[in-house]
Amino acid sequence: MLMLNKRKTYDITMQTLTYLSSLVSIVVLLAIVFFVFQKGYKLLSWDLMTHNYQSVTYIADLKDDQSSGVFISPKTFDEDTFYSIKWGIALKDDENLIGGTSVFVTYIHPDSPLNALNNKGVGVEDIYVKEDYQIIRIAFDGSSSALAIHGAKHMIEVLDTQNSFRELEFSTTGGGIRGSIITTLYLIVLTLVFALPIGVGAAIYLTEYAKNNRFTRFLRQMIETLTGIPSIIYGLMGLAVFVHLTIRLTDATGANIISGALTLTVILLPVIIRTTEESLKVVPDDYRFASLALGASQTQTTFKVVLPNATAGILTATLLAIGRIIGESAALVFAIGTAVKDDIRLTEKSTSLAVHIWSMMTDEPANIELSSTIALIILAIVLVLNISIKLLSKRMLRKQGVKR
Amino acid sequence: MQLNVTPTIMQNKPKNMNDKIVKIVLLSFTLLSSSFIFIVAGTILLKGITPFITQNLGLGKVSLISFLTGDTWLIGEAFQSNLYSVGFIIVSTLMIALLSLLVSFPIGVLTALFIAKVALKRLANILRTVIELLASIPSIIYGLFGAGIILNLVYNLSAAFGYQSKGGNSMLASVLVIAIMTIPTITSISEVAIRSVDKKLEEGSLALGASKTQTHFKVVLFAAKSGIFTSAILGVGRALGEATAVSLVAGGRRSGYSFDLLDTTSTLTTIMLEGMKETTGLDYDIRFSVGIVLIVVIILTNLILNWIKRKVGNVDVK
Repeated sequence: MLMLNKRKTYDITMQTLTYLSSLVSIVVLLAIVFFVFQKGYKLLSWDLMTHNYQSVTYIADLKDDQSSGVFISPKTFDEDTFYSIKWGIALKDDENLIGGTSVFVTYIHPDSPLNALNNKGVGVEDIYVKEDYQIIRIAFDGSSSALAIHGAKHMIEVLDTQNSFRELEFSTTGGGIRGSIITTLYLIVLTLVFALPIGVGAAIYLTEYAKNNRFTRFLRQMIETLTGIPSIIYGLMGLAVFVHLTIRLTDATGANIISGALTLTVILLPVIIRTTEESLKVVPDDYRFASLALGASQTQTTFKVVLPNATAGILTATLLAIGRIIGESAALVFAIGTAVKDDIRLTEKSTSLAVHIWSMMTDEPANIELSSTIALIILAIVLVLNISIKLLSKRMLRKQGVKR
Repeated sequence: MQLNVTPTIMQNKPKNMNDKIVKIVLLSFTLLSSSFIFIVAGTILLKGITPFITQNLGLGKVSLISFLTGDTWLIGEAFQSNLYSVGFIIVSTLMIALLSLLVSFPIGVLTALFIAKVALKRLANILRTVIELLASIPSIIYGLFGAGIILNLVYNLSAAFGYQSKGGNSMLASVLVIAIMTIPTITSISEVAIRSVDKKLEEGSLALGASKTQTHFKVVLFAAKSGIFTSAILGVGRALGEATAVSLVAGGRRSGYSFDLLDTTSTLTTIMLEGMKETTGLDYDIRFSVGIVLIVVIILTNLILNWIKRKVGNVDVK
């Protein structure tokens, strides 16, 4: 009896432990999703994805031949938007991307003098006020300035009493992630252009052409070994090899998108080769025999019969690769740099979405809100990719089931 | 071993010119792919030994022994020295990896057991999807989660013990983040191992009067221990190589051996990521030396764990 009791306690303890452990993964996943969503959804908007990260502040004054006039607005505005008929500009108090309030331009009349202004600072001479820009300060000769902290209504009232102004300080929209999105897209396209032909080609060689000898096994072993290397080591390699290579071959002066893509190519080759090989292996030999028996050459058989039957596998490899490119951070910190840029050039530093998060989180103070928003975007993409891969492999299995 | 699916007829068929060219092109792709391992190893090695054999633009040679055993890492333009040591970092890296395994291994294996043996089919499928999703979340998001949630937890925990931690940045936070990241790896591989245990063993145990739970823990897990051990080895590999996530919660320790869980720490990977601004000179080259150390640490850990696996797990039940 005692023994049975002891056994029961053992059973119950162990079962409880098992249940609790299984709960951990679910809790962690929910916690991550909840955290990222809760911190990130507020900033998630279309504007975020189309705007620049850096906001530029300009101080401008009127061009000599311009002055106030009468600009009747073709549309009506709601209550909290204020329109200046004299200057043809509509302003509104709104929350900026960092969470504070600022005065935003909601409309600008096409004939308004603010469409062409002089830059009083350094840089381009001709500047203009555009929708979504923030007005910081308007200074006048002989009367006090209109400041953003007094709100849009006050600013419009002051503006309507004046026929000219001394200087207008405004800033372009910032805090967006357009640059990082573009860099990520560049990286995906470039990396796939490099990695897919090489990877699929190598996979074809290994399954269709190579004899099963020691040399082939050696090649396979070397490719397999690549998967065990931490990505930060690839980053170092990219920094030492590909960055120097691109500096020599292009007009790049440091880490750049091309060197990043080349580094990612090396990381992804083993994944692409393995996935493609698996899909080539399941193409039935009968297909090859039939094609060869009809007089097709080996090349024709491989590219016109075997490869089309392995498209699902190659597509899976591509999706896996895209997921990896979007998520990779450690290698890219070295290979394309950590400077968040808006003006994206292939031969210059910039950040992918993941590196953008890292860059902001290592800054003081860390920007957790915007990081979470980017993380939310990455999570959504990863989720979609995962589901697509699952569906693809299900389809592949079904197709084989029918075939065999 | 790899089966060669290419039918022999295909290889014996007389080849035309076109076939030959295609074959050579494809072979060159394969050679290129397999040569990268040598390029990676070669560059890291070549760059990594320069600090020890050159004068480093007047800073003097870095002494290999003090590099490997010392307890100070002076990086940055302000210092201009050759005082770079990773001794204390090697220790903390290994400590973090093993402690995180201590957390993630039991949880991962028990989850695997639950999926493979205990749970109903539908629940098992849901859990498997959860694990797959966790495995596919990029590490930077784990880092963000760590910086947003785990740092707070650790900070409050240490405050409860009357300890002022640096905003929660600590070894404990690093251990927890890495543990969370390695659970999916351990679970998915252990699950395969557990599922491939011969059904007859289980039936035998049940027939002898053991309860289901006893069978699971004393027979199934024991029989699958080789595969389970492999999952631990892969988990440690991931823990040692993880970089960006840890760098957000480690706190960046620059000197002094520390075994305090609540104190800041550094790992071989985070020290490589720190102050990534210089692109010439010793500050730059020394990262490659750390890279060599990291690779050596990973290989040695793997060898030791594989040796233990052979010693402990040579019961081949299948």
